[in-house]
Amino acid sequence: SVQAHKEEDNPLNTMEANGLAPVPDSYDYDLIVIGGGSGGLAAAKEAAKYEKKVMVLDFVTPTPQGSSWGLGGTCVNVGCIPKKLMHQAALLGQALQDSRKFGWQFTEEVKHNWMTMTEAVQNYIGSLNWGYRVALRDTKVTYENAYGEFVGPHTIKATNKKGIEKLYTAARFIIATGERPRYLGIPGDKEYCISSDDLFSLPYCPGKTLVVGASYVALECAGFLAGLGLDVTVMVRSILLRGFDQDMANKIGEYMKEHGVKFIREFVPIKVEQVEEGTPGILKVTAKSTTGDQMIEGEYNTVLLAIGRDPCTRKIGLDKVGVNINEKTGKIPVNDEEQTNVPHIYAVGDILQGKLELTPVAIQAGRLLVRRLYAGETTKCDYVNVPTTVFTPLEYGACGYSEETAVEKFGEENIEVYHSNFWPLEWTVPSRDNNKCYAKIICNIQDNERVIGFHVLGPNAGEVTQGFAAAIKCGLTKEQLDSTIGIHPVCAEV
Amino acid sequence: MGWEEMQVRGYPEFVRTAQSYHGRPIFALFCGDKDAEGRSWCPDCVTAEPVVRKELHNLPDKSVFIYCLVGDRAYWKDPNNEFRKNLKLTGVPTLLKYGTPQKLVEEECFKAELVRMLFTED
Repeated sequence: SVQAHKEEDNPLNTMEANGLAPVPDSYDYDLIVIGGGSGGLAAAKEAAKYEKKVMVLDFVTPTPQGSSWGLGGTCVNVGCIPKKLMHQAALLGQALQDSRKFGWQFTEEVKHNWMTMTEAVQNYIGSLNWGYRVALRDTKVTYENAYGEFVGPHTIKATNKKGIEKLYTAARFIIATGERPRYLGIPGDKEYCISSDDLFSLPYCPGKTLVVGASYVALECAGFLAGLGLDVTVMVRSILLRGFDQDMANKIGEYMKEHGVKFIREFVPIKVEQVEEGTPGILKVTAKSTTGDQMIEGEYNTVLLAIGRDPCTRKIGLDKVGVNINEKTGKIPVNDEEQTNVPHIYAVGDILQGKLELTPVAIQAGRLLVRRLYAGETTKCDYVNVPTTVFTPLEYGACGYSEETAVEKFGEENIEVYHSNFWPLEWTVPSRDNNKCYAKIICNIQDNERVIGFHVLGPNAGEVTQGFAAAIKCGLTKEQLDSTIGIHPVCAEV
Repeated sequence: MGWEEMQVRGYPEFVRTAQSYHGRPIFALFCGDKDAEGRSWCPDCVTAEPVVRKELHNLPDKSVFIYCLVGDRAYWKDPNNEFRKNLKLTGVPTLLKYGTPQKLVEEECFKAELVRMLFTED
């Protein structure tokens, strides 16, 4: 088997290329991680703890608009972090309005400066990129800003931005290449539209914006853009937040509509044209109804596409090493130990088939995988009852089953749903909506009324949900919940 | 080769010097004042300085290296001193690339590898 291994790698073995006689089964690295995002970095840093020789390859192919970013992956650069900061910026705008009712007096009109916010956010992201660089260097993980692709079973070709190629070999690999936003495939989409990859570093205020899509990315972006005072329209092909509890999704949509976000339902754009150049310019969008022949047109300064994300798995040489991917979606099927069909190649993060696309999931999976590989541990990543939060203007936190999925799995007669509206105390004085915040739990009657679904719509939903996720993991029942005395006056006590 | 050093003391002199080199890469090392014998009140600065100086040859061409004495210990301990307030420094020694979030603080400055990375990365 040593012979076969050498023969396969012979033309590309780095050591041979350097004129050195190859030592059987000796690779440049114990582990090469392709992708320096949440999953990749967590795995790499963990492996370094066990004194393994690790390399991380991270490379950002610029967007059609030319945007790029540093080490850290989607979450840090063009996802969770800037999103939450901009969401916070929008919430602060609302808080400023509320503050007058609490006695704060200021005569100036409150306006928002996009550049001030964006520079501050980008500066923070820059410090995170730097922090990762320091952490990797400090833990002796080799980092290359280069595009990695498989050229042999144990060999990766890394191409940097100057086009210089280098070859590296490793005993094992972790693919953690993540995803990038999908485009519509209509005229004008790549030339004129932006995606979330561009939005958080946009060097000019986006102005009147059309957001295409109904994903949480679309609704969160539409939400904070409107909160900052911009004119925002969301074009939705069918339903909001596919895959989420639809009862909650509709409440989120209603709230956004009542607070100034316009919705165009059951239409899809068919072309985007430029009316005027500029930063921002003016774009004309033509859209067709999904239920008939009706066509509409609209003019916007910015068109933001948020219709989905596609895994970066099609151009990394997986065919050369025989790693199976789902041809339709690009996702990689793995077993419950994150192993692909090729034993020494693993995968973590958003690219996994059938797993949640969340940073903490990728981090946990990456860390546990490495501990199993190098520290003799056996714990596998628990993908059940993972809590999530959607940071729309009215935040939505959830853990466990949606109502629809619970009904489907257990039968309507076997589940009990308890729900309640609530009015946050902080909203009373400024006379904010008294009937929009909402919480519900779904219980399995046949299993001691175990709480199998938790949903809350209200301020700080993420903070509220985290604790309940731990309780659900411990097997929380309705009776236990009832016997837990509430904290007053907080939203979570409901 | 291709870089120069400026030595300054105190916040106003630092700012004036940094502004005068606007457009060039500026790296700055902030240390506590030195006494008549050339010893700083800040023991970590004493450790860091030779490590940093040994890596200076890695500075990109046209860089400016500003060696800045911040003041005496009492001044530094004041939470409202200008370095803390305006430059957001949290400790000495601090080695940073001016105008970017890239910096090394305290023990990080003892590590030649990290200093080299700060000087040579974009």
